[in-house]
Formats: sequence, C-alpha cells, structure tokens
Amino acid sequence: MEIKTTTKNLDNYKIYLRIEKAVHEFMEKNNYLKVDLPVLSPALIPESYLEIFKTEFKYLDKKEKLYLTPSPELFMKRLLVAGIGNCYYLGRAFRNSEPNSDWHNPEFTMLEFYKVGVSYLQLADEVLKLLRHINNKVKNRKLKFDKWEKYSVAEAFKKYAGILEKELFNEKLFIKKVKSKGYKIEGATYEDLFSQILAAEIEPNLGKNGYPALLYDYPRQLASLAKLGHDKRTAERCEFYINGLEIGGFCTELNDVEEQQKRFVDQSAIRKKNHLVNHAIDKGFIKALQCGLPDCTGAGIGFERLAMIFANVDSIDKLKLINIK
Amino acid sequence: MRTNAGNLKKGDFVYYQNEIWQVQKADFYSPGKGSALMKAKIKNLLSGKNIEYAYKSNEQVEVLDVSSVEMQYLYKDNENLFFMDERTYNQFSLPIPVAGEVSKFFKEGEKMFVYMYNDKPLTIRPPSSVKLKIIEAEDAAKGDTVSGAKKPVKVETGAIVMVPIFVKVGETISINPETGEYTGRV
Repeated sequence: MEIKTTTKNLDNYKIYLRIEKAVHEFMEKNNYLKVDLPVLSPALIPESYLEIFKTEFKYLDKKEKLYLTPSPELFMKRLLVAGIGNCYYLGRAFRNSEPNSDWHNPEFTMLEFYKVGVSYLQLADEVLKLLRHINNKVKNRKLKFDKWEKYSVAEAFKKYAGILEKELFNEKLFIKKVKSKGYKIEGATYEDLFSQILAAEIEPNLGKNGYPALLYDYPRQLASLAKLGHDKRTAERCEFYINGLEIGGFCTELNDVEEQQKRFVDQSAIRKKNHLVNHAIDKGFIKALQCGLPDCTGAGIGFERLAMIFANVDSIDKLKLINIK
Repeated sequence: MRTNAGNLKKGDFVYYQNEIWQVQKADFYSPGKGSALMKAKIKNLLSGKNIEYAYKSNEQVEVLDVSSVEMQYLYKDNENLFFMDERTYNQFSLPIPVAGEVSKFFKEGEKMFVYMYNDKPLTIRPPSSVKLKIIEAEDAAKGDTVSGAKKPVKVETGAIVMVPIFVKVGETISINPETGEYTGRV
C-alpha cells in the first residue's frame, strides 16, 4: 500500500464536509446527543463475517490486546442502557480483509444513531427526513427523497430473482433453487447464497427510479442483532439503496438477553470456522443488556457511500485528499 | 487457470452460462452478512451485452488462458470489424458491440492486438493510446480564455473528441481510446 495525495478531489471533499455539517445539524435539531467514542477496545461483539484489526497496548512488562472497533455498537448500547436516550456517532470504524474498492475502505466513517421507543419502519421516516435535509443543503437535483420505494425481501426476491416466498424461507428449497440458477453452492451457507443473489440480481435494480429504495423483513438467519418479527421467520431489519448501492441499514434492536447470548455463541462459532481473529468477547455488553436495553431502533450508514451519492462520484477515493491503497 | 473470484480483475476472460465473457470491472463488496463478494460487470463476447454479476470471493473461477495476436485492422461494415493476421493472411471478424466504443478510434491499416482463444478471436486488446489527425474543428471563439475550456473536434475516423480550444484542424492528437479522452498533441 502507498499514501496517495491529491487535491484534484478538493471540490468533492468540500461537498463531503457540507454533508457532514448537515448531519450534525439534523441530529442536533432532532435531539440526538452526539457521542465521541473510543476506537480501541479490549473486547468486541462477535460478528460472524467481519474481520477485525488487532493491536497491543504495552507498558513496561505488561501487554494487553486491543482491537479497532468495526462498529460503535458495543459502546452505544451501553450508553442506551445507562439511559442516555437518542444518540449518534459520526466517526471512524475499521474492518479488516475488506480491500479498497469503489465502495470499501478498511478504515471508513460510520454514522450510527439510535432512537428510543420506535420500531424499524418508524425509523425509516426519520432516515428519509435526514436524507431530505442533506439534499436541501447540498442541492443535488437528480435525487428526490419524498418517499421510499419499498419492497419486502420476499417481494424483491420474487420480482427480481424469480425466487418464491416458500423457497426463500426454506433453506433446502432455497439452495436447490439457487443451484438451478447456475450458482455454485459447494461449501456455501444459506447466508452466503442469500447475499450472493441479493448482490447479483436484486441490488442493481434498487433505488434506480429516482427514489431511494427500502428493503425490509430479512429472513431470520440474517437477523444479526435485530429483533424477530411477529411471524418469527423474519427479522425487523431494513437496508436502503440509492442507485443500486447499499447505503445503510437499521433494525429494531434485540433486547432479549437470552436470545442475544445465543446469537453470540452462534456468531463466535462461525468466526472460528472461518478462521477469523479470535478476539475477546465483550461480556460486559451482555451484562449491560441484562440491566435492560430500552426498546429502540439503531441505524448504521456508511458515511462515505452516502457522500458519494450526493457528490455524484463513483468511488470513495474521489472524496478523499489522502488515500491509502 | 483456476483462481479465487476475489482475484478477478478487469480484462480477465471467464465462462458464465457456457459462454465466454470479459470482466469489465471487478470490485470487492462485503454485505456484512454472508461471505464477501466480488461484484463484477461482465461483457458477453458474442453479443457485447454487459451484465452485473456477483461471485462469492472464495469461489473458484476458471480464468481462460488467452493469447493476443498482432493483426492489421482492415475495415468495418455495419456489424463487424475485420482483421487480418499478417503472418497467415487469415481474416477474422468481430462484432462491433464486442469491441465496444474503442473501435471508433481505429484507423484502417493500423496494427493492433486481438485476443484469441482456440483459434477464435474474442475481442481486441485496446491500445493505450491512438494518434489521429483532426479533420474538422471550429476556431476558438475570441475572448474565450477560460482555462480548461474545451471544444469538440472530429478526427479522421469520424469520432468526436473534446480537446482544449487551442488545438487546430490538421494537428495530430493522442487519445486514450478506452475513455475517449484527449491526452495531448503529437
């Protein structure tokens, strides 16, 4: 990797700064508390597919492992338990094994925010308001944010990939169908193939009609830290897309401690199987949840991707004055 | 050669649905859930049609081992470009959409490389730069001194290129055929 400096991107970078300012304004106006958080942590939430950066703190003959946080969630949920209320973080997050590409950088900027007392679809209105606010400040005339183009995951799989609801929610039928479409299924899990179909056949169509698209109700296997819906086969999780690019997602947060513990175990097992860094598990997080995470919805937005859309550029690099690649 | 899809790059040739495609763009993409992916734009080498596809980044993909052969570009008709291998005098044709926009900058008689697989032409390997003469251009309007201002000109193959306003008819310019951008006067 090398350090690359360019002032050619100065105009794009200035748009990036305006978007950043617009986000802070919106959050302040809507009573979200800005939280500054560490990026180094002695323990993390296990996430099955996110590789992390590890480092070490040294003092005299003492050493302690530390990890760069792939998301601020572990800190923000502690604060929510402590009763801080609506809050947001706009800062760095780190994901290893994600090479620099048009849409990825191992070091990136995350906008994460939590709203107490609302569910995922209610937060969708707030996200739309945020997008509208940014657009009013940046004035990108190509984009309209008056409404979502909404699809449930089941609707989108049927419409764009010809996969029926009964196939989507039945792992065996799903894998059989995916195989018949010509995909390689050897060694792949349901989650792997779901993500592949989503990326190959569905995402390129989303958010291309002038409005952002909202995809909601993911199969429970892709719940992560989202609460399950009443039907128990979907999770209350959304992702949103503009011009075929996933910008962010949000979900009704899981606050059932037992279920949370179970998912920790499952996710750790997948990490182990995939030979990902064996990091210390954040047990304090579970302890905090035992005190009671309020009903809330959390959103995570890839801030550079969001800025790419408003600045009309096709890669993250074009927003930056210094790139390491 | 078999490789992880995570290693795919622009220009590679792959099989997909029993046809040969060329990778136009390949980018790492992680959805966060499920394994990482390589999102690729691939071009069908029979029709010239582009599609988007996503590979699991750890999926094994067969990348074709192709050779490139220097040929003379002869001419084109409404559908095809025609080339001749000067060593064997064999002639080959390629559909214009397969060669793509770069073919607008090809001059009859020029030499260029054609990718071959099993003695069949797949597509051309675009030269990094082509030199073409300007045959039509308007003089720069007086007083138009904005730095970086550009005007359209027609080059000898008939293609239109944006050039700085000081460039005149009769001059030869170099162009990047892949982007269609002016890169300098020759």
